[in-house]
Amino acid sequence: MKKLLSMLVTAALALTSVFALAGCNSTAGEGGKGGNGKSGSDFKVGAIYINSQNDTSGYTYAHHHGITEAMKKVGLDPAKDLFIVDNVPEDDEKVKQAIDQLAGNGCNIIFGISFGYLNAMDEKAKEYTDIIFSHATGYLSNDKNFNNYFGRIYQARYLAGIAAGYKSLALKNNNIGYVSAWGTEYAETCSGINGFALGVLSVNPDAKINVYEISTWGDQELERQAAETLIDTYGCCVIAQHCDSAQPQIVANEKGVFGCGYNSDMTKEAPKAHLAAPIWNWDAYYATAIKAAMEDPANFMTKVGNYYEGLNAGLVDVSALSENCEPQTKEAIEIAKKMMVSGEWDVFSGVKLSFSGEAGSVAVAKTDAALVDNTGKEIVVAGGKSVDDGVIQGSMNYYVQGVTQVN
Amino acid sequence: MRKYHLVRRADSQLKRTLIYYAIGILISLTIGAVILISLGINPFEYYGRMFTIGLVGNRYGYKSVEGLLKIFVPLLITSLALSLSFKMRFWNIGGEGEFLIGAICASIVAFNSSGLPNFVTVVLMCLAAMISSGIIGVAIAALKVKFNTNETLMTLMLNYIMLYVIRYIGDTKADWNFFLRKDSERPIFGSFPESAVMQGIHFGKFNLLWSVIIAVILTVIIYIYLKFTKHGYEISVVGDSSSTAKYAGMSVGKIVLRTMFISSALIGLAAALAVSSAGTVSDTITNDVGWTGIIVAWLSKLSVPAVFVTAILISVLQYGCQAAATQYPAIDINFADLLQGIILFSVLVADFAANFRLVKKEEAKNA
Repeated sequence: MKKLLSMLVTAALALTSVFALAGCNSTAGEGGKGGNGKSGSDFKVGAIYINSQNDTSGYTYAHHHGITEAMKKVGLDPAKDLFIVDNVPEDDEKVKQAIDQLAGNGCNIIFGISFGYLNAMDEKAKEYTDIIFSHATGYLSNDKNFNNYFGRIYQARYLAGIAAGYKSLALKNNNIGYVSAWGTEYAETCSGINGFALGVLSVNPDAKINVYEISTWGDQELERQAAETLIDTYGCCVIAQHCDSAQPQIVANEKGVFGCGYNSDMTKEAPKAHLAAPIWNWDAYYATAIKAAMEDPANFMTKVGNYYEGLNAGLVDVSALSENCEPQTKEAIEIAKKMMVSGEWDVFSGVKLSFSGEAGSVAVAKTDAALVDNTGKEIVVAGGKSVDDGVIQGSMNYYVQGVTQVN
Repeated sequence: MRKYHLVRRADSQLKRTLIYYAIGILISLTIGAVILISLGINPFEYYGRMFTIGLVGNRYGYKSVEGLLKIFVPLLITSLALSLSFKMRFWNIGGEGEFLIGAICASIVAFNSSGLPNFVTVVLMCLAAMISSGIIGVAIAALKVKFNTNETLMTLMLNYIMLYVIRYIGDTKADWNFFLRKDSERPIFGSFPESAVMQGIHFGKFNLLWSVIIAVILTVIIYIYLKFTKHGYEISVVGDSSSTAKYAGMSVGKIVLRTMFISSALIGLAAALAVSSAGTVSDTITNDVGWTGIIVAWLSKLSVPAVFVTAILISVLQYGCQAAATQYPAIDINFADLLQGIILFSVLVADFAANFRLVKKEEAKNA
C-alpha cells in the first residue's frame, strides 16, 4: 500500500509537469525571453558566476555589470542574449555542466570569472571548438578558442597609494594599514599590496605599510576586526583593502581615520573617510572580447589573445577623488597615471618616482633605485626593467621594503 | 480553553493522499508563479523549461540527459543505502561524510593509476571507496551497539569532519599533495588520468555511462535482498522492534553492524562512481546527496521501487531548476533553490496531512 502511495505521488508530480508543459507550448509562440525566441541578433553570451548576478556589490557584481554594459555597447540585449549559470562552485563537474547548459542554449562566447573554473574550461574548449572560452584570472589558453584575461590592478593601487601617502604626510603619521584577503600566498593579493605600498612610498618614503591577512576572500566580520586592530593596535591613519565588503572603510569612518576602498567607489559607505578606490572597468575587456567574437571568431586568439591590460585600456582606474583627499593628490595621480598609460614607466621597475611640492606645483623625480623586498633581497637592479607579467600574475610571493605583515 | 491533538488517521485512503499531494504541489507552484510574475516572467514558460530540464531548443540536448544522469546515479544509490539503515531505525544522517570518505579514497587510487587499464582502475576505486566508507559505518554502528551512543550525532559530526578534511586537501599546496594540479600557483584540484575516468556505451552522440547501468542493477539487487532474503527479513524485524528480534533469537548487534557496513559501503560506491564520472574530486562533489537522499528515502517510505522513481523526479527537479534559471538572466540559482525547497516542503506537509488529522481534545476523548 505504502509503495503504491509513493508511486502515486510521483505520478502526481509527473502530471503537473505535463500541465506545465502544455502551458509552455501554448505560449511558446510569443517568443519569450528565453534562448529559443528569435531575437534581433543570433549572437549569445554565456557567463559562469561564482556568486549571483543579483548581488549589489563585490566581484560577481563587477563582472556582471561589465558584461551587461559591454553588451549594450555592441548592440546586444542582456535581457535576451545573455545566459547565466550563477553560484557555480570551483568544482570541475559543476562547471562542465554549466558549460554544457550554455553551449546547449547556443552561446557563442562563454566567460568564466573564477580561477577554479580552469580545468573545466580548458577541457570544454577542446570539445566545443566553435565556442570561444574566456577565463578571468587564469593562466591557461589555446591558440584557437580559449584565452585568459586579467588586469594590472596594481597600477590603480599605486595611484590609490599616492592618495594615502599624502594623507599620512598631512597627519604626520607613518602607519598605514592594509586589510588583505590573502598575503604572499596569492600573486594577486601580493602584487596589489606591493603596488599600493610603492605608491605610498613615492610620497612618504618613511611610511610603513601594515598588512593584516584575513585568509578568506570575503568575511565582513573578519574584515571589520582586521581594520579595528590596524587602527587601535598599530595606530594606522589610512586603511586600504583587498577584500569584498566595505567594512574596513566603514570602520575607518567610525574611528575618524581615512581609507582606500576596492572594487567600487566606497565614498558612499564612508563619506568622511574614503579617499579613492582602485576600481575595475570590466566592460573595457568585455566589449573588446564580445566585439571580436561577433565579427571574426576564427581569429579571436590573434585579435584579442590573452588579455592583460591596465590603465592604458581603461580596464583599471581609481575612483573619483573624494573631498577628503589632500590638495596635491590629484596632480600627483595624474602625473603617475600619464606615465603608466604611455608606457614610459611602470610600478615594479628599477626606477622609482618621488613626488614633491605643493598643490599647483607638484613635481616628480625619476630616480634609478633597485626594487628590494622586505628582507633586503634585490628583485630588480637599479634602472632595470619591470618584473615579468608572469611573475606579477602568477608567482609574486614577496613584499617590497616598507611592508610588514602584522599577523 | 481549546486543546488540539494530532491523531493518526485510522484508514489510509489512496484517493485522499493523492489529492493532498496534488494540492501541495499546486500550492508550491502557485507561490513560485507569483514570484515569477512579479519578476515579469511567464510562469508557464518557466515551468515548461524546468520540467523538460531545458531540453526544448537545446542544441546539445543529449548533454542535458547525461548531466541529469550524473546527478541521478549518486542520489539513487545513496537514497537506497540510507533506506537500508532507516529500515532498521538506525538514523544514518552521515551520508555526506561517508560519501566524502569514499570520494577521497577513490581519488587516491585514481590519481595514482596512470598506466593501469581503465576497468581495473575503476574497480579498484570502487573497492577503495566501499571499504573505507564501510569501515567508518561499522565503527559508528559498533559504538552504538557497544556503548549505545547516539548514531544521529555521530554520523552528523562525521559530515563536518570529512568536509573539512577534503577542504584541507584542496587548499594545501605541498609536495605530498597529488590531488592538486601541479602547474598551478594557486591550489586547485587536478583531473584524473584517463585511466580513471568512467566510460560508457555510445548511442550516437549520447554516452550512457556504465555507472547508470550499475546503479540500475544495484537497485534490483537491493530490492531482492530486502524482499526475499533472510537478511532483509532480519532488518525489518529489528526495525519493528529490536526486543522482538532478540526474543526471536536474532543477534541484533550483528545485524546492525552488517547492515551499516552495507549501507555505508554503498554510499562509498556512489562516491566512487561520481568521482570517476566527473574525472575529478572537489568539496562539493557530494551534490548534497547525503541530505537529499534522506528526503528521497522518506518520501518513498523506504520502498525500493519508490526510491528509484522519486530519485528520478528529484533529479529532474534539481537539474530542471538550474536549466530554467540559466535561460533567464534575472533568475539566479537562489530562486531555483527556493522553489525546490517550497515544492519539497509542501509535499512533506501534504504527506503529513494525509496521514494525520487535527482533533479537539473532547473529540479525541470520545473517539
